[in-house]
Amino acid sequence: MIQYFKDLLAARELLANLTLREVRGQYKRTIFGRLWSLLNPLATMLVYTIVFAFILRIQPDAGDPSGVDVFAVWLLCGLLPWAFFASVVQTGMGSIIANAGLVQKVYFPRIVLPLSLTGSIGINWLFEMAVLGVVLLFVGSFFLPWVPLVLVMMVLLAVYATGVALVLAIANVYFRDTQYLMGIVMQIWFYLTPVIYPVSLLKEPSESVGGLLGTPITVLDVYRLNPMERYVEIMRNLLYDNRWPAVEDMGYFVAIAFLSLAIGVVVFRRFENRMAELI
Amino acid sequence: MSIHAVSVNSVSKKFRLYHERNQSLKSAVLRRRRSVHEDFWALQDISFEVPEGSTFGLIGSNGSGKSTLLKCLARIYTPELGSITYKGRIAALLEVGSGFHPELSGRENIFLNGSILGMSRKEITRKFDEIVDFSGVEAFIDQPVKNYSSGMYVRLGFSVAINVAPDILVVDEVLAVGDAEFQDRCKQKFVQFREEGKTVILVSHAMDMVQDMCDQVAWLSHGKLVATGEARPTIASYLKSVEPQ
Ligand SMILES: Nc1ncnc2c1ncn2[C@@H]1O[C@H](COP(=O)(O)OP(=O)(O)O)[C@@H](O)[C@H]1O
Ligand SMILES: [Mg+2]
Repeated sequence: MIQYFKDLLAARELLANLTLREVRGQYKRTIFGRLWSLLNPLATMLVYTIVFAFILRIQPDAGDPSGVDVFAVWLLCGLLPWAFFASVVQTGMGSIIANAGLVQKVYFPRIVLPLSLTGSIGINWLFEMAVLGVVLLFVGSFFLPWVPLVLVMMVLLAVYATGVALVLAIANVYFRDTQYLMGIVMQIWFYLTPVIYPVSLLKEPSESVGGLLGTPITVLDVYRLNPMERYVEIMRNLLYDNRWPAVEDMGYFVAIAFLSLAIGVVVFRRFENRMAELI
Repeated sequence: MSIHAVSVNSVSKKFRLYHERNQSLKSAVLRRRRSVHEDFWALQDISFEVPEGSTFGLIGSNGSGKSTLLKCLARIYTPELGSITYKGRIAALLEVGSGFHPELSGRENIFLNGSILGMSRKEITRKFDEIVDFSGVEAFIDQPVKNYSSGMYVRLGFSVAINVAPDILVVDEVLAVGDAEFQDRCKQKFVQFREEGKTVILVSHAMDMVQDMCDQVAWLSHGKLVATGEARPTIASYLKSVEPQ
């Protein structure tokens, strides 16, 4: 294990270069370049705002204590982290197969392939969040004191997403169904996460159902097992409401994030040996 | 310590050949215990030693396991049995230009490819001119490599790889590409390598070249080692065995 981390440390320059390859290669020969990275979430935001705020009339509570009450901004506070997560999971999962030529011809720690995607997608996300920051200031959210914590949380989401991507990247080498299955899972997961609707919407139905199967466990308790649910809540607390997130939410997410990475690294290391002959 | 650059100890490599497409969950579930794969031993109990500073050839007919052995040496495959020990840094030249990004310029790709092959940024910067010189593509170095001809692509890839300056270089039939002039330059580079006391392990089907360059050869057939020894006699007996009766 120690040797493994030494190898990885030795490959940090490679990791940086592969990350740059993704970042630089991505928008070559486009007129708008990096702006495309913004246009995508913007278009999604527009569609969701029209559908959910105007047609379905979903009304999240105004930020407390910030008093901000703009659906589109509220949406983005959850949507941008989700988009980053989904993108790392889905591209990371395919990263070994996408680089089959390299894996079969050159030896290097294979883990740098999914890691470099976390890096390059993370750089785009940082850029998106910076723009969101400007918008937040504009609509009256004074989140600046929370910036350090927001940055820590961003790193933690990268940790969580990377762990998930590592396991799936291995699974995908052995079973190509993984990527198609995950296409569906990610869609369901998105709707199980309060990105486009507030959790408060679930409180009433959950209470009316009561404890499940005679236990005191409610639908909401089960719903809140989803780490991304906690994460979106935390980010909204910081960016939109401007207040401290619940300690148990933070604790839960931190624990899950590191557990995810630990499992990811162990699984990846265990199965990476036969990668080159299977792809 | 031994004077062997590489020792291969009883290495065996197995591939699984599946009779159906295995890479789906459904077949994995259906298969359960009842195994429908066949083990195919591409390498069986291979042992030999490569003396430091020598040039070593692997010969044998198609499918005899030469590339598989090189990939084991290059740590791309992990052998099921046996072990391989090295003395020094090893670099493999199995296919040039793997890892080039078509949209990036030749310059950017030199840095990218160099780091994939294990060079540090400092090292690449120091050798940059030499790499560009050797490749002969200076005029296009700031063009995206997708605009390169396939010959230029190969030359640039080869130049980067050959400048990694490993202690042990593993080469698989890459010399077959490129024009005669470039092949000549490559041969010179190998000679220079050898003068510097480095070890080269190569696969080639051009027997006159193997005889020219190699001190020793190992002859593989159907995944087994038939003989190792001095280049000339071993090549002679190999050629005799493949001659039609
Ligand atoms: N990834 C693989 N999966 C299954 N069989 C393989 C794989 N790679 C090589 N083989 C088999 O191993 C044998 C040796 O192949 P190879 O080492 O490429 O031979 P050579 O380079 O000497 O021509 C061949 O029969 C080939 O079909
Ligand atoms: Mg071969």
